[in-house]
Amino acid sequence: MADQQSPKTVTLTIDSQQVTVPKGTTLLKAAEAIGVEIPHYCYHPGLSSPAMCRMCLVEVEGWPKLAPSCKEVAQDGQVVFTQSEKARRQRTGVLEFYLVNHPLDCPICDQSGECKLQNFVFSEGRQHGRGREPKRVLGRDDFGGDVLFNADRCVMCTRCVRFMREVAEDERLTVVERGNRAIIDTFFENGLEGSPFAGNIVDICPVGALISKDFLHKARAWDLDRTPSVCPSCSQGCNITLDTRDNLVQRLKPRENLEVNGWWMCDFGRHNYEWINRGDRLEAPLVDGKATGWPEALEALLSRLDGAGGSGKGVTWAHAPNEEMGMLKALMEHLGGGEVVYRSPRAPDETPLPGFPPLIRRKELAPNDRGAEIFGFKRVGDQNGEGGLEGVAQHDGVLIVVGDPLTDVGEDFGSKAELFVYLGTRGSPAARNAQFVLPITTFAEQEGTYTNVQGRVQRFWPGLRAPGVARPGWFILGALLAELSGGDVPTSADRAFALVTERAPEFSGISYRDLGNRGTPVNHPASVSGD
Amino acid sequence: MSEARKIPFNNPGWAGNTGEFSLTEAEVRGDEYVGRRPPAGGHPSGASSYPYMLAEKDPDAPLFEGAYRERFDKLRTRYPDARSALLPTLAMAQELRGYVSPGTMDEVAALLDLSPAYVRGVATFYTMYNKRPVGRFLIQVCTNISCSLCGGDDVLRAFLNNTGTELGETSEDGLFTVVEAECLAACGFPTTVQINSRYYENVTPKDVPEILERLKAQGE
Amino acid sequence: MAYPYTHEKEVRILSKHFGEPEARTLDGWKARGGYRTLNRAFEMGRDKVIEEVKASGLRGRGGAGFPAGVKWSFMPKEKTRPHYLLCNADESEPGTFKDRELLRWTPHQLIEGMIIAAYAIQAEQAYVYCRGEFFETTQILARAVEEAYEAGYLGQDILGSGFNLDITVHCGGGAYICGEETALMNSLEGRRGTPRVKPPFPAQAGYMGMPSTVNNVETLSSVPFIIAEGAEAYRKNGTQESPGTKLFCVSGHVRKPGNYELPLGFPLMELINDVCGGLKEGRTLKGVIPGGSSVPILNAEECADCELSFEGVIKAGSQLGCASVIVMDDSTDIVKEVRRMVGFYAHESCGQCTPCREGSAWTEKILRRIEDGRGTEEDLDTLVEVTSQMEGTTICVLSDSVAAPVKSSIRKFRGEYLARIRTGEKVGAA
Repeated sequence: MADQQSPKTVTLTIDSQQVTVPKGTTLLKAAEAIGVEIPHYCYHPGLSSPAMCRMCLVEVEGWPKLAPSCKEVAQDGQVVFTQSEKARRQRTGVLEFYLVNHPLDCPICDQSGECKLQNFVFSEGRQHGRGREPKRVLGRDDFGGDVLFNADRCVMCTRCVRFMREVAEDERLTVVERGNRAIIDTFFENGLEGSPFAGNIVDICPVGALISKDFLHKARAWDLDRTPSVCPSCSQGCNITLDTRDNLVQRLKPRENLEVNGWWMCDFGRHNYEWINRGDRLEAPLVDGKATGWPEALEALLSRLDGAGGSGKGVTWAHAPNEEMGMLKALMEHLGGGEVVYRSPRAPDETPLPGFPPLIRRKELAPNDRGAEIFGFKRVGDQNGEGGLEGVAQHDGVLIVVGDPLTDVGEDFGSKAELFVYLGTRGSPAARNAQFVLPITTFAEQEGTYTNVQGRVQRFWPGLRAPGVARPGWFILGALLAELSGGDVPTSADRAFALVTERAPEFSGISYRDLGNRGTPVNHPASVSGD
Repeated sequence: MSEARKIPFNNPGWAGNTGEFSLTEAEVRGDEYVGRRPPAGGHPSGASSYPYMLAEKDPDAPLFEGAYRERFDKLRTRYPDARSALLPTLAMAQELRGYVSPGTMDEVAALLDLSPAYVRGVATFYTMYNKRPVGRFLIQVCTNISCSLCGGDDVLRAFLNNTGTELGETSEDGLFTVVEAECLAACGFPTTVQINSRYYENVTPKDVPEILERLKAQGE
Repeated sequence: MAYPYTHEKEVRILSKHFGEPEARTLDGWKARGGYRTLNRAFEMGRDKVIEEVKASGLRGRGGAGFPAGVKWSFMPKEKTRPHYLLCNADESEPGTFKDRELLRWTPHQLIEGMIIAAYAIQAEQAYVYCRGEFFETTQILARAVEEAYEAGYLGQDILGSGFNLDITVHCGGGAYICGEETALMNSLEGRRGTPRVKPPFPAQAGYMGMPSTVNNVETLSSVPFIIAEGAEAYRKNGTQESPGTKLFCVSGHVRKPGNYELPLGFPLMELINDVCGGLKEGRTLKGVIPGGSSVPILNAEECADCELSFEGVIKAGSQLGCASVIVMDDSTDIVKEVRRMVGFYAHESCGQCTPCREGSAWTEKILRRIEDGRGTEEDLDTLVEVTSQMEGTTICVLSDSVAAPVKSSIRKFRGEYLARIRTGEKVGAA
């Protein structure tokens, strides 16, 4: 049964390899399926296909002319060659035309190292140029917002124009003039300012024509480490990469996930990374104001917890990963129960990306509101993520605060607590009353998961080294819990996740292996509340 | 130029002096047949074709009022969507205002519910939408292959000299702008020159002063 | 009669009434036998009309030469969505000036042809896309369409047949590329006039994504005769593969340039020396471009036996295109003229495809440098290679149009280029 061809598929041969694809698949995608990459510029999976760059032309047996593989639909029995003499000669020819007016800007161009023109010319272009005519010079143009446009470098693939028209549905870019005088431009002085998704055109520009002002001349592409992660700026949970160098985040880029964000992310999230690089971090555990090592700090804490009699109260925040939240919940339960509250800022409205409906910049401006809901935590405070801690401030039992920087509370916060433990990334004046101040890592420095607004659990990985001896929150809490309850210490994030899945039916049955790098929905997603 | 084809100037639009036809200019141009077309465009099927080239251009003319509004409304009914009416609408705006400025693009975009950037992209694609004001008479001289073979460059030079302008620039008195045109589809009558909406055929350099005088005198 | 000169060897079907101002009026046209084919077409029915046009072998007159009847038969038989008939009156090919004559002398001939064509392909909306520069011509056509409406030949229930047709005259904005059928559709939709990738073909997804047929003015103007007299009568003229008569547009260095309607297959030299009165005193033939500037140049030797049919010109080494015969005598500066033609294409390129966008401008620059006397012999090899890299790789055939004059002139008139390069000598015109 398996090898019988259903009428819904076609089988063809590409570079002497057989491949079977669904009917309607283009040659380019069929080649992709067997790992054959056909060079292209104007094609992008998230945009319409104009077949105008002429790079993707392939030879089809029996056809007099080469076919654009991004548009040509695969037919049964076709024999396609992407590396034949004809196809390679054509690509070499087209690349020569691209270089006729393209400036030799590689030494000063940000795109260098991740430039499609560089790559293709290096592998298949002519060794020596033979153009003797002066090149067209158009200069640099500020398109507004974060985008700079180097017109000379533009290869006229029109991905940017099509993105603004088809995906952002905010047609601010156009091609002006025609022929060799054609170039991309805005409507005169009306630039990209105010467009919430314009940053994506920098991503999709195959060359260094559209570049980010924020990233301008900051780092070379080949110096960057790229780590898969999840955007922490709202509850959409766009898949991103952290591009880092010298242990600093240099920029954020979207990562493909067709269920969540497609190939895109919003500018709000994209440019909200500087806080990750802040250097004012807690680096060592403080016990009664004195810095110690972890063993001493944890021993001291355990003995105080043993003796503590009062009820517990917990505070966390929506930036905490599932593992951290789960461990906190477990610890609170072990200490006799006790409410855990969290604060989370809200925007007054959401910003959808019209051409890709799943992607909306959400009102919840933190990544793990859904996780907090799943664990039964109560949201307090206002739309700015402030206030709401009056019930906790004067608590006289055990007070555990995890993550929340407490920037808005009074000097006497936690002064009445029998035991006040503060786990945080930065020192907070409000933590002066804490007997224990323990340094933890940000999401960028640890492995973990977030649950997004759609109820999708997604992994992120560490792209930075933690400062000092800061450790993930789930690790600290997990170690405490293990000592108190006699269980196992979660020595890795997936062990921690496995432990928290026991506490929340939404997560049960899901393991890190299931999550891959694109996540998976929680069980019973309908039970996850909307907002 | 061949002796056999010496044609006096005052027959723009036809090569009447071949001995085979004896037609007046009006008969060839079809002036009587067309008549003075109404500003509101007559039957909607022809609303896109220009009734006449306005002598006076007003850069602030409203888009659209009165007869032009009527014509625009008729035009809109001929197409399944607003976008299809873009080229004729831009042409009408240029007819009133003399050229297509950024402001004009913006207004036309609003009229048809398109984005201004899109309208700019379309307007700049086509040659006939003037991006800057031009003289009262836009003189377009064909210098493409057939006219070039028969001295089109000399005719162009004659126009430039006699109007005292550089290519593409407007004369000081604001009357003449001389540009090169691509093939005007009258190759059997070299050199063809288009001045505003009229074709002048079989133009030779020595006809040029007369043409310019006639333009100044008759205003069209 | 062709215009402005006539010749006894002409077979005047389309151009019989050129030069008669009365012929453009509805009454004048009817008096000359016009509009009598409509009822006949309605009686025949759609399928028979298409069969008749197919049998006549009428080939597209816009340059591609694709059989019109076959093109019509591509339209869906079952009409589930609006069908469109688009008349291509965007005559911009250098050397071509026949459609203008058809529009200004016999607009009703075109309208009659369009009604029959629209009926055959089940189109109730038709557009005539006129080039923007045709101000005067378009107004004549608009008036003629108005007359047709007034007489009931357009609009609802034409002549009681139940068939409705609306024709709209649409003016372009000045772009040669809009003469390409898919670019025409894009331009008609109010977009930049860039050609589309085929497939899908216009008959599947054309104007507004609906089934559409694009035909040239001359093609549609030929239809009334075929319906009136029949396919056999049409085939009496021309050759087996290229039946019928054609309006030949002769320009350049002949004594009597103009349009001449002759049967296809007419010998080129007879056209030049007899019909057009020959070259000017004391001149010899250097070359001829037989089909508008997009086709290869023929040198005098190749012209000798060339017959002006689609197959005949291919045999001679070029293409018939739109049969615009550009005659060049020995006073011609080939380098300058080729540069001018390539400059035209560079100016008119839509800019979508990289080989055409960059290649046409680059080719023009090299030719300018050669024309100014600053060329090298390597430039000639570069030109041939670069234009070969452009050919066949783009969405439309404008690239091929750049390659044709460049490659053919370098091959056949290499001496002129070399003279220019080596000594700066201008062969031909001063």
